[in-house]
Amino acid sequence: MMFKKSLWVFHLNSGSCNGCDIEVLNIFTPKQDVERLGIKLVGSPRHADAIAFTGPITRECLPKAIEAFMAVPEPKIVLAIGSCACGGGIWFDSYAVIGGIKEFYKILKEKHGIEPPTTIYIPGCPPKPEAIIYGVALARKAVEQKQKSEIFVEESDIDDAATLFKEATSTRHFIPKIEVIKRGE
Amino acid sequence: MVDKILAEYGAVVLDRNAKRLVVQVDDKQLRPLAEKLFESGFYYANGVGVDERGLGHDFAMYHVFASEKDKLYLVVKVSTSNLKLPSITPVIPGSNWAEREAMDMLGLEFEGHPEPERLILPDDWPKGVYPLRKEFDYNERPEFVERKPESTPQRTDVVQLPLGPYHPALHEPEYFEIHVDGEVITDAKYRGFHIHRGMEKLAEGRLTLNQVPFLAERICGICGFTHSIAYCQAVADAAGLDWPERAKYIGVILLEIERLHSHLLWVGVVFHLLGFDSGFMHMWRIREKVMDIAEALTGNRKTYGLVLIGGMRRDIDESRKNWVLKTLTELREETERVSKDIFGMKELINRIKGIGVLPKEDARALGVLGPVARASGIDTDVRRDHPYLAYDKLDFKVPVYPEGDVLARLLVRYDEIIESFRLLEQALSEMPQGDVMIEDYTIPSGRVGLGATEAPRGEDVHFVITGVESKVYRWHPRAPTYNNLPSVPIMLRGNNIADAPIIIASIDPCFSCTDHVAIVRKGKVIWKGPLGEGVKQVGR
Repeated sequence: MMFKKSLWVFHLNSGSCNGCDIEVLNIFTPKQDVERLGIKLVGSPRHADAIAFTGPITRECLPKAIEAFMAVPEPKIVLAIGSCACGGGIWFDSYAVIGGIKEFYKILKEKHGIEPPTTIYIPGCPPKPEAIIYGVALARKAVEQKQKSEIFVEESDIDDAATLFKEATSTRHFIPKIEVIKRGE
Repeated sequence: MVDKILAEYGAVVLDRNAKRLVVQVDDKQLRPLAEKLFESGFYYANGVGVDERGLGHDFAMYHVFASEKDKLYLVVKVSTSNLKLPSITPVIPGSNWAEREAMDMLGLEFEGHPEPERLILPDDWPKGVYPLRKEFDYNERPEFVERKPESTPQRTDVVQLPLGPYHPALHEPEYFEIHVDGEVITDAKYRGFHIHRGMEKLAEGRLTLNQVPFLAERICGICGFTHSIAYCQAVADAAGLDWPERAKYIGVILLEIERLHSHLLWVGVVFHLLGFDSGFMHMWRIREKVMDIAEALTGNRKTYGLVLIGGMRRDIDESRKNWVLKTLTELREETERVSKDIFGMKELINRIKGIGVLPKEDARALGVLGPVARASGIDTDVRRDHPYLAYDKLDFKVPVYPEGDVLARLLVRYDEIIESFRLLEQALSEMPQGDVMIEDYTIPSGRVGLGATEAPRGEDVHFVITGVESKVYRWHPRAPTYNNLPSVPIMLRGNNIADAPIIIASIDPCFSCTDHVAIVRKGKVIWKGPLGEGVKQVGR
């Protein structure tokens, strides 16, 4: 689901340190001034096309985040702004957080049977204002996504890479699906 | 004088240097000692519960007191073998939250606490699980238990108006319940701590001493750097390290850049809340140049990632220095020009004059800090009273206004912006040559260290106990909003409901700083009773 026209965003701080929130606010000030591009922050989730999460989603925020998420009318997209929202950031396995938007989707699926909507990931600590604008441009299909979920390794390094990914799976809650492709094939 | 008081109550000196003193007292002597200290001008700076079983002791509570007059931080330690300790909240109201934190995070009990209920972790956290005990793993996630419904009864005599947890006027999730009679606010309650991320446990469990500065920086996205400096000062204090001179000056430069962008941001937000959006846009336009300076010096706009225990990771070269000096001159001219226009607007000044007054006596009893204290006539500034880095070699004024209203808080911060420009120019031009980092040091284990910095919002106090294998045994930061928030109900009472957002914003609240330690259960009032006559009303 992509939006072609003006995007109204409800910004939800789900345990962020403020860094991303300030950068979100920053893109509405004279240097970037994204209101001229039709992007607007709204005060109620019911008015929004998109919901922007900043922060790793703390236990205390979780029920409120679910409520706000469900209040956004369909069709909707999610902007996961900052490393914390994307994957939990430095807190990813702390006792007090659930660890990012993917864990949030898991809970939504299990408890409420809701399928995850289109999600734009904007990593960074905090992401630069330009990166946030780029994320929104992606949502509006103004630019093509260049990032691909493939990586290339030398044939001789395949074993090492496989071990690395295996280790990563045991310590992280999730890692993006990565296929090892031999160069030149 | 301090020594005389301490001797009177049989305190044993464990460690001392010029800036701080660590003593241990018997638990029976704690409350009279605390009362005496409060009377002689000390305020409550930090309170830390520690599970010392790993160091071969029992549980302990460290109370940190500070005095501008004696230029001293006093750490008072009391141990307990049966988890029971006397509460000092009846004599020093400021320790209320600190003792509750220890109750919930460690399971300590404070006898005589006016509100000894378990308050901290969220509703769905099971009973009897204490995250800061050593047997609890940092990545353990207890099962969610069922949330209890709201327990506060609805009142019929007043209109209860909710503000938050997600509200357009608040950029962080916090909940204020405002009681109004017509247009006038009669009472206010605060419920919050939504942004608890388990930071202290992460530092103990997963990170090493030299990784914690990067975590400390993420306490807050606005004033994070001052937290990482305070942490490194605390470890340097524990280990007796002294930074190279050049590193100290670079630290000052980055701290003042942070203060500059934080104050400009705050002034902008205040204008936005007053409905004066062109002022907001101008302030943030000016602020963008400060962010450029930060990016040029550190490589990142917010989380600088520049400080380690031994000093700075990156030097400032000559060409950058000259560029920054040139940009600062432009910035200063622009700030002064815009501010002159803004302060000439009578309607704006009249709008914020005389609202949200915090009298000096209440301010001292609650232990408010930073610009809020200085706007209520309390002459306090960590940079001058407990000098750190290179502040003792630089010349700056501490603005103090006696009125205690929102206008005074704006004027204090404006004066500080101008002082920051002066400090930056001095520090950049007087910066000595030399190394920026010491790498040859050892950190002894089991040592207590204390670091304090003047953040844009007030005094940050970090408390550290070093552990073995370059780990932190215990780290407890205390952010200024922690002390400033209890003053909001006093400021709100008697004002119009339309002024509530600007009054709340006038302390420059930073909830993510405050919430790193605890979550308060929904439906419970955080303070009531002992915080002076005005606050007695709050919990009713």
